[in-house]
Amino acid sequence: MKLSKQTINDVLVIVIENKEANLSKSEQFKEMMFKDIEDGSHNLVISFENVEYLDSSFLGALVAVLKKLLPLKGKLVLTHLNEDIRNLFELTRLDKIFSIESNIEISLQQF
Amino acid sequence: MNKTVLLVDDDLFQLKLYEKLLTNHGYHCRIALSVDEAESILKEYDIPDLIISDYEMPDRNGFEFRKKLLKNDLLKNVPFLFLTSVNDEHFIQQGLDLKAIDYMAKDVPPTRILSKINNLMLAVREHYERSLSEVKGIAERLNLRNIPKTAPALKNFSINYYNKSYQEQPGGDFIDFIKIDDRHTFVILGDVMGKKWGAWFFSFSFLSYVRSAIRLCVFDGDYELPTILHKLNRVVYADEFLSDIFSTLSIILIDDENCSISYAGAGDLPLLKYEKNRDDLISYQSDGILLGFSEEAVYNEIAVDIQEEEELFLITDGIIDFEINGVKKSDMKLLSHKIHDLKERKELTETIVDNLFNKHTSQIDDCSIIIIKRKNNEAK
Repeated sequence: MKLSKQTINDVLVIVIENKEANLSKSEQFKEMMFKDIEDGSHNLVISFENVEYLDSSFLGALVAVLKKLLPLKGKLVLTHLNEDIRNLFELTRLDKIFSIESNIEISLQQF
Repeated sequence: MNKTVLLVDDDLFQLKLYEKLLTNHGYHCRIALSVDEAESILKEYDIPDLIISDYEMPDRNGFEFRKKLLKNDLLKNVPFLFLTSVNDEHFIQQGLDLKAIDYMAKDVPPTRILSKINNLMLAVREHYERSLSEVKGIAERLNLRNIPKTAPALKNFSINYYNKSYQEQPGGDFIDFIKIDDRHTFVILGDVMGKKWGAWFFSFSFLSYVRSAIRLCVFDGDYELPTILHKLNRVVYADEFLSDIFSTLSIILIDDENCSISYAGAGDLPLLKYEKNRDDLISYQSDGILLGFSEEAVYNEIAVDIQEEEELFLITDGIIDFEINGVKKSDMKLLSHKIHDLKERKELTETIVDNLFNKHTSQIDDCSIIIIKRKNNEAK
């Protein structure tokens, strides 16, 4: 799992560098995110600008990250979802539970 | 499916030689000119089926690479071979001590190297199949199944269902039919988010909760699907064991006396319906979010009007995931058009299913579909 991380105004911005966010990466991704949250990063933006395909294992990992943040009053914004991924979020009502924005700049304004 | 081999060598000529040899014999290769490059490939792509590495390379050598892999839980069990011209006995022993399956000399004829690789992959496959069959046997004996053996026979409806596992491993899709009496039958389709064994294991927890929630509500004379889903969601949410495991659920209640159908869902894909003389399938989208995410989730019930010869299609996401020319995508509309075209061509259910289960595209997850058809009067 290749992630680039950068902190902007107390928000941890994570860019997934892989083209496919799938089963082989989901567990590792979840652990990496849980560690960041435990280390105090409660405001997160995750960018999917490089991701072409995302499977249900990875969706499950994202939901787990969001669920972990909620009791901590944290926030997670997803950005740069391609049309297919965006459709998948809408079809499964995940768009109701995640904040989804078109780019990192707008995402940062949500905090 | 082609096995993937990661080849690591600082000599580009050697890399290309072995890449050609393996590619010509059905393997898919990734090549790295250094340990650094190999590590980037391992981070970026799926885990390979085999790693073949040279010993002597600038910066870090093959032993250092192997030692690092052994510390990585995800990679330590990937079969590893040394292929090198450093063939001093002392090095061979050191390489084998690092749990490398073999230490091969580069002066061995390429055909022999290929035979060794083929034999190794065959042995890995056989070992895996033996273990899989043992686990499947145990599951069978314990009557652990997340896909039932048969669907109930109903007066006014026929139910067909299909499930295809991913890479021959059980997955997180689960199906169940609960026939309460001659009038009421529940149809369940769920998908634990994940794949293979992990998801398969958790599917039984969800399945047990679904069965209990339905039975407990029915004991109280309550057939309201939102009530069942609400209770089910609360218990899943409260279960710490499932705190970061989520499942979708589609639930249908068939009333075989009144020929009516109601539907509710949690994070599931829309229910599709085929009606004659329409340009596309009708899609019913439930309101509910994934089971276990929020304690106070709200669920709605949709009454689905179904006339004779009309059909409903319940699906899990594996069936809308496709891999075409190496590009993976999820496409619900494509599936909907496909089913509609097949129905318009009056294809039999078996033919429809054959077509849906990706003959020409690679399947990338376990897939399930339940087809509920209202019988016509003559067929009853």
